[in-house]
Amino acid sequence: MITFIQFLITGLRLGSVYALIALGYTMVYGIIKLINFAHGDFIMVGGYTLFFTIPIMMNLGVPGWLAVVPAVVICACVGMLVELLAYRPVRKTGNNLTCLITAIAMSFVLENLAQAIPAIGPDPKVPYTLFAKTYSIGGVAVSQATIITVAVSAIIMVALYLFTQKARVGCAMRCVSEDKEAATLMGINVNHTIIVTFGIGAGLAAVAALMYIAQYPKVYTTMGATLGIYAFVAAVLGGIGSLPGAMLGGLLIGIVQSGANTYISSSMSDTFVYLILIVVLMIRPAGILGKNVGEKV
Amino acid sequence: MKQNRIKTRYLVNFAALIVLFAVVVGMGMLGGNTMKLKIAPSVWQCSYLIIMAASLNLVLGFLGQLSLGHCGFMAVGAYAAALISLAFQRAGFYTEKAGAAFFLVLLISIAAAGVSAALLGLLVGIPALRLKGDYLAIITLGFGMIIVNVINNLPFCGQQGLSQGSASSALYASGLGFSNDEKMQYLWVAGLAVILCMTCMFMFVRSKYGRAIRAIRDNEIAASASGINVSYYKVLTFTISAFFAGITGALYACCNAALATSSFSFTNGSILNSVFIVVMVVVGGMGSLTGSVIAAVVLFLLNYTIKNGAWVSALPAFLQNVFTYPMLVYSIALIIVIMFRPRGIMGSREFALCDIPQWPGRIKAYFTSRAAGKAARKEGKSHG
Amino acid sequence: MKRRKLLSLLLALCMTFGLTACGGSKTTEESSGDSGSAGESGGDTITIGMIGPLTGSLAVYGTHVQAGVELAIEEINAAGGVRLGDASYQLAVEIKDDQGDSTECVNAMNALISDGIQLVVGSATSGCTSAITSIANSEGVVLITPSGTADSLTTTMDYVFRTCFRDSFQGELAAQYAADEGYTKVGIVYCSADTYSSGLRDAFADACAAKGLEIVAEESVASMTEVDYTNQFNKMVSAGAQLVFTPFYYDVMGPYLVPQARSAGFTGVLLGADGVDNTETTIPDGADLSVYNDVMFVNHYATELATSDVSANFVSAYEAKYGETPNNFDALGYDAVYVYKAAMEACGSSDAASVQAALADTSVVYEVSTGTFSFDDTGTPIKTGVLMGYSYTEGDAAVSKVAVKTLSLS
Repeated sequence: MITFIQFLITGLRLGSVYALIALGYTMVYGIIKLINFAHGDFIMVGGYTLFFTIPIMMNLGVPGWLAVVPAVVICACVGMLVELLAYRPVRKTGNNLTCLITAIAMSFVLENLAQAIPAIGPDPKVPYTLFAKTYSIGGVAVSQATIITVAVSAIIMVALYLFTQKARVGCAMRCVSEDKEAATLMGINVNHTIIVTFGIGAGLAAVAALMYIAQYPKVYTTMGATLGIYAFVAAVLGGIGSLPGAMLGGLLIGIVQSGANTYISSSMSDTFVYLILIVVLMIRPAGILGKNVGEKV
Repeated sequence: MKQNRIKTRYLVNFAALIVLFAVVVGMGMLGGNTMKLKIAPSVWQCSYLIIMAASLNLVLGFLGQLSLGHCGFMAVGAYAAALISLAFQRAGFYTEKAGAAFFLVLLISIAAAGVSAALLGLLVGIPALRLKGDYLAIITLGFGMIIVNVINNLPFCGQQGLSQGSASSALYASGLGFSNDEKMQYLWVAGLAVILCMTCMFMFVRSKYGRAIRAIRDNEIAASASGINVSYYKVLTFTISAFFAGITGALYACCNAALATSSFSFTNGSILNSVFIVVMVVVGGMGSLTGSVIAAVVLFLLNYTIKNGAWVSALPAFLQNVFTYPMLVYSIALIIVIMFRPRGIMGSREFALCDIPQWPGRIKAYFTSRAAGKAARKEGKSHG
Repeated sequence: MKRRKLLSLLLALCMTFGLTACGGSKTTEESSGDSGSAGESGGDTITIGMIGPLTGSLAVYGTHVQAGVELAIEEINAAGGVRLGDASYQLAVEIKDDQGDSTECVNAMNALISDGIQLVVGSATSGCTSAITSIANSEGVVLITPSGTADSLTTTMDYVFRTCFRDSFQGELAAQYAADEGYTKVGIVYCSADTYSSGLRDAFADACAAKGLEIVAEESVASMTEVDYTNQFNKMVSAGAQLVFTPFYYDVMGPYLVPQARSAGFTGVLLGADGVDNTETTIPDGADLSVYNDVMFVNHYATELATSDVSANFVSAYEAKYGETPNNFDALGYDAVYVYKAAMEACGSSDAASVQAALADTSVVYEVSTGTFSFDDTGTPIKTGVLMGYSYTEGDAAVSKVAVKTLSLS
């Protein structure tokens, strides 16, 4: 029993981070139908920003987590810049496939660019530990960071939901995601909406970075690659485009990984994560909570 | 008349291939230090990159489905070939890397690599190809990861088996792994493999199968309405593509004294990873096999000369610094190509030697048509 | 529209070049090195080759080896260079990036050889090194790997040497320590997909079996950058392991493995190998430092226990040049160059065959920053290990690294 609780807690710890990242993925995918492979690297950008800003914040005498504010700003700027410089020109001439390839290329650009910047370099950096306190629940240690991550993910999920349902820009986003042409006809500035989406998505990556480094305090330039892939798998599993789906998928991936570690084979946990993805996509091609939309002719 | 022209095109291309092959064989005989240290290994690497890019083009360019796990099939081929050659060696079938017995083993391992990868391709293809677009991309990525993860954990070919320790030097000493001298000696194998594989792929895309898969790419619903069994053709193409990827794996195993799964993983930072192969296909032209060949060779040479060539040091200092991060250069180049030529440099055109005299005319036509398009847009704008 | 596209492109390129331009000053000064003539034919410069992963996911190892090599060359040149007979030669280095990939590594090695280079330092990982050992041997070029630890690298290859431990030696030392301290139940957490980690695990497990230690639990993780070890340590705790062998690098020990092991309830000794050195640089600020007590590792040298001041000098020179503490990759790369220098001076030539003969002389003792050693007949240093550990007492500002004792195989 105690093993079971332990494995659940570990799964939650991993899963909460995946869920937070998956929210950003699903947000962008929902609007422009692009798997933003560079999203993982936005987290890297956020992680490095936090690494540099947390000590500044502490020196100023304010709580360290407030460093998330500059991180959100910088990440949002990077996200919008990527959209402006790479995705938008490609979207004009290409199709979904070329956009996806551009996204993959963009992720390599960000990783290698970070390595080329002297202040960052290839050495891993260890940021300040936030929320390091642990609570003991029934003999099992739960870290404060895990609880906060789950809470933050839930809050963000609800906030995003309300934003897309109620706010003007949010409605515009939904409109763009349904039909770009019709949105233009309704007087919505499509490019403007997409860039706002990227800003929000990348800003979320900064929040995710904060929670990630609180649990796993290390930043390095290629950290986004595997993290991004897991989070993306989570988003697809939950039904990409669906906010609660991303949350569910993230937690599920974390728990599957942890369960495979505990009960089956710890070096094969990757295999089980992808197997779950494949099985779910076979049964429900749109993911667990995704809407199955028939293809238009 | 038209039939005749196509025939001449084939004949000329075929003659060029024969000449090329003769050159490769001749180079293998020639000897010399530069030859041994630079050209022969380069020809080997080019040979597997060419087949790899062309085989992915079958799926990406002709079938229109993005597969991000292509290197997984290559890994399977490489490990299958290496293990089989080692098994033969341990059974005492051959003792040195020469003679008819070794040549037979070489053939068997290349064929076995192709077949095992094709079987796996079939296994992956049947479920995966029910999905399309982004989902297919991610699921093939997942399969690629699973393959690498499983190989890592197989007791007979994981870290304890092949890539590390005694077995890795055994691959060099007695298995397929060629030394520089043997790469020279067997240069014709690489050349022949490329020519045979490329011919097979050409025949495939020019056949009724090729027409069917292009129809699926262009409009799946229309294709299925006109009686094409969509899932059959998809799985068939995927399997054939995996078969050739397996063969490249065998060539890779010949070319390298050590195998490590990290070379085939998605996040591997070198020229040989699933992403880079996608780059080759996209740059060369989705739907142009000759484009893939040219892109593979050009990108290989670019990669090789950035690291080992002299021209980088002739550049201004700030450019040199950019070139110390080769992946940065490639990814930016990829984005630029996609921006300006979304279907790749060659598009879906095939390269033919006969056409070279017509090139100046075509280039001119391209620019005039662009200028005309621009003028037309301007016109439209001034009206609107 | 086209113009805007071009503009955006131009902007992006400018940014890229701008960012990298300010970054790469370190690498440009190196490339001037290859202007020097190769080998001994050209007069007053001897060029050494270096191969390592300088970009990509393994870049951290390669760049550190590079830093060590450069420091050594700078020092040697400042001290008058290498003396061969009556003439003295300056050293230069030609650096090649293999991106952690064996094919690139083979290309780099071939290119160095065709440039006429006879002495090569590289590569940083066992996987890449195993791809080039055969070339070194068949082409007659000396190769010293600073950090390729797999046992088989040097066994059949006359031209291949190394400055680090081999896996089996370190694994045996660790097992012997466990046996000496009277532990009976040990556990292993390692990474099955990595040569370094799985090589050490094999050696440790074999030695434990020979010494009658019981391995009560053995868990593996999928990659060396794995972030969560909690489940693995839960199993260690429930299996009752008193000591857990953890062959990982410092970049996961500090932030992930040690704190997670402690919070999973494991209170025993965490025993690692030389990769664990420098964990103190990756301990996050604000973390509970007491968890790092009882983290032990086998290492090459300890400045406290060293009989000479070579390693102390190395550490201070390194800190002066780069402004950070050196790690093992720095030290081993640095040593490789000094071993070459000693061998060249001993044989009075920089030609590969004579240097190989000089290195193959097992009676020569090298005194370098990672200890004093001589090569065994395979080309692996015979070193004594040092057991080091971290300790923290309430009220200290930081964790301190202490040398516990010298280890040697009984």
